[in-house]
Amino acid sequence: MIQRYRASAGIMLTPAVTLIGIFILLPMLLTVWLSFQDWSTQTPFSSARFIGFDNFREIFGASSVGRDFKGALTNTAIYTAFSIILILPLSVAFGLMVYQHDVAGGTALRTVLFSTYMVPMIAVALVWSKLYSPSEGPLNQMLGLIGIGPQPFLSSPRSALVSIVLLNAWQQVGYFTVLAIAGLTQIPGSLYEAAKLDGANRFEQFRFITLPLMRRTLLFSAVIAIINAVQVFEPVALITQGGPVGSTNVLTYHIRRVGIERAQGGLGSAMAVTLMLSLIVVVCALFALANRKDQE
Amino acid sequence: MSFAWTSKLALAAGLAILPATAWAQSVNISYLTHWSPETVALLEAAAKDYAKANPDVSVTVRAVPFGDLLTTLRSQGSGSDGPTIGGIYDLWLPELARDKLVAPAPDAVASEVKAAWPAGITSAASVGGALYGIPNEIDVYALNYNKALFKQAGVAAPPKTWDEFKDAAKRLTNKEAGQQGFGMINSWAAGVVHPFASLLVSNGGELVKDGKPALDSPQATQTFQLYEDLIKSGASVPAMATADANTTGPFLDNFVSGKTGMIIMANWWESALKTGMGDKFADIATAPIPVGPSGDKPHSISYSWMTVVNANAGVAEQKAAWEFLAWLNNPKSGRNGASAMSDILMSMGILPSRLSDIDAHKDKLGSEFLSGYVSVLTDAKPFPVVPGGQEFSESLQQTLEALQYGQVSAKDAQATAQADATSILERAAK
Repeated sequence: MIQRYRASAGIMLTPAVTLIGIFILLPMLLTVWLSFQDWSTQTPFSSARFIGFDNFREIFGASSVGRDFKGALTNTAIYTAFSIILILPLSVAFGLMVYQHDVAGGTALRTVLFSTYMVPMIAVALVWSKLYSPSEGPLNQMLGLIGIGPQPFLSSPRSALVSIVLLNAWQQVGYFTVLAIAGLTQIPGSLYEAAKLDGANRFEQFRFITLPLMRRTLLFSAVIAIINAVQVFEPVALITQGGPVGSTNVLTYHIRRVGIERAQGGLGSAMAVTLMLSLIVVVCALFALANRKDQE
Repeated sequence: MSFAWTSKLALAAGLAILPATAWAQSVNISYLTHWSPETVALLEAAAKDYAKANPDVSVTVRAVPFGDLLTTLRSQGSGSDGPTIGGIYDLWLPELARDKLVAPAPDAVASEVKAAWPAGITSAASVGGALYGIPNEIDVYALNYNKALFKQAGVAAPPKTWDEFKDAAKRLTNKEAGQQGFGMINSWAAGVVHPFASLLVSNGGELVKDGKPALDSPQATQTFQLYEDLIKSGASVPAMATADANTTGPFLDNFVSGKTGMIIMANWWESALKTGMGDKFADIATAPIPVGPSGDKPHSISYSWMTVVNANAGVAEQKAAWEFLAWLNNPKSGRNGASAMSDILMSMGILPSRLSDIDAHKDKLGSEFLSGYVSVLTDAKPFPVVPGGQEFSESLQQTLEALQYGQVSAKDAQATAQADATSILERAAK
C-alpha cells in the first residue's frame, strides 16, 4: 500500500520536479559552474576554461574589477536596507489607516496606494527623473517655497542612491500595504475588545497585539521586499546608469554590464553566484531570527 | 482527367509553390540604431525609397537608447533573428569582430570604402586588415560657449590657452545665479572621457601610446590638475553635470538654459541644442580646444560610427544588408550628389565621413556652429580603438567622476587611472 502510494506520488511529482530541474536548478548549477571558468558570453560553453577561484579572487581583489564589484555589492546592501526600513513601517502604518473602518475614504486610499504598484517602471522613472531635476524639478521648487535650497538628488553621489530608494518605496509601498491589511484581517477582533476592557490604550494594543500577531506577515513582507530590492535594475538603467561615481551601480546592473556588455561571462557568473549566496544567507538569517522569537 | 480534377491539381500545385516562391524572393532585414524618432523617420523614408527599386527587400528600423545599444547587439546579435544591421561606435568593433558578431565586408564594398573614405576613418572600421563596416559619421570635440554669457561676464573672446580658459571659467561663474563657468559631464562614459581626452591631447599627451596606457605622463598630470583646479575654484559644479541613458539630462539642460558658460562637446549635439534653445541657439559658438602649457596647438578627440552586418544572419539577409548599405551610402541615393546617409546625419548636425559627402554638404558644414568642428578635424586625434577600450573608458570615467566630486586628489586619480588602464588593457590583449 505504502509502495503504491509512493509510486503514485512520484509519478505526480515528476512533471513539476522535471520542470523545476530544467528551468531553475540547471541554470543555477550552470552559473555556478561558469563562475569557475574563463568564458566569454559570445562563445560556446565548450570554449570555457577552468580557472578555479580566479574569478572570485578578481572580484574581491584590489583591481578596478574588484573595486567596482565591491562598490556594487555595498550599494545593493544599502539600497536593500533602506528599502526595508522605509517600506515595512510605512506599509504597516498605511495598513492600519486603511483597515480602520471608521476612517473616511479608506477604500479610496487603498486604491490610490495600490495604483502606484501598477504603474510601469518606465513611466515611474520618467516622471521621477523630472521630479528630481535639480534646476526645474517640482521637488526643488516646493522645497524653495519653505526656504530650503535646491537639493542635488540624483546628481550627487551622496543622495543619488537614497533618491532611487525613495522612488522604489513610493512604488512598492502599496503592494506591501495590501499584505499588511491581509495580516491585520487575521487578528481576531475579540483580542482588541479584551484589551480595551483591561484598559489598554491604542499604542498598547498595537505594541502587544497587532505587532506580535503580524510577525509572520511581516517576515513574509521582509523576505519579498529583500528579494525585490536586491533585484533592482530598471530605475538604475533608465535614470542614473549607475552614476554618479558609481553611487547607484547596483549588482544586477553591474552584472549586466560585465556579463553582457563586456561579454565577461565567467566574471559575471562569479558575481551572480556571490549575490545568490548573499541573498540565501540574509533570508536564512531572517528565518532563524523569526524562529528564535517564536520559540521565546 | 476531368476539367474539375485538372483545376484542383493546378490549384494545389500553385499553393504548394507559392510560399516557397514568395519566401525565396522577399528578404527582411532589420536596422538597429540609437537615433531619435525624428531621425529614425528619415531612415525609414530612405528605406522606402530603396524598396521602390528593390521591392523584394524590406527594411525595418528599431531604435534603443544609446546606453542599451551595445547590450542589445551583444545579446541579440549572436542569433540569426537578431538585427541584421547595427550602427556601432568604432571603440566596440575590435571585440565584436573578435567574438564573430560582425561580418567582414564583401570585397566590392571594401574596395569602394577604401577609395571613397579617408584612410584614418577606414582603419577605424577595420580589424586585422579586414574592413567590417561602412563608416558613416565622424564626431569631433570642440569648445562650445555661450556668447551672451561671455558678453555679460566681459570675456571678449573664447579662451585659447588653459590660463585663459581657467580665467574665463572663473569670470563666467556666478554662484548666486546658479551659473557655472565650465560644464563637465558625468554618468556617461564617453561624455566624461572625451572632453578630458581632448584637453589631454591639446596638452601634448595621449591616452594610449603604442597599445599601452599613457596616463602617467607629465601632460596627463597637468590635465588631471586642471580638472581639480576647476572643481576646487567652483568654476565647474559636478551636480550640474549629470547625464541620463539618452545622453541628455541636467548637463544639457544647464547649457541650453544659460546656466553653463562653456562645455566641451561633439558636433552631433547641434540638434539637441537647437531643440532646447530655439532662437537662443544663435548665442552658441564653437572654438578650438584651449591649448595646455605642454601643447603645441589645439587638438581634439575624434571617433567614428559605422554600420556593420550581423555575422550570424542568413546568407540572403547579409547580402541584402550590404546591398542596402552600399546604396544608402552611395552619392546617388541622396540629394545634390550626397548620400542618403549623409542627408540623415546632417539633419542632426553630424559630420559625414565620405569625402564626396563632405563636398556635397560644404554649404551647411560652413555654418557658424559646424565650421568650428570642421576646422579642428585636421588636427584631431582618433580615440584609441583597442581591445578592452570600452572597459578602459568606463574605468577612466569612474576615476574622473571621483575627481569631479572631490573624492580623490588629482595625483591619486592619475595613479588609479594608469593602474586600472594597464590591468584592463593587459587582460583584454590576452
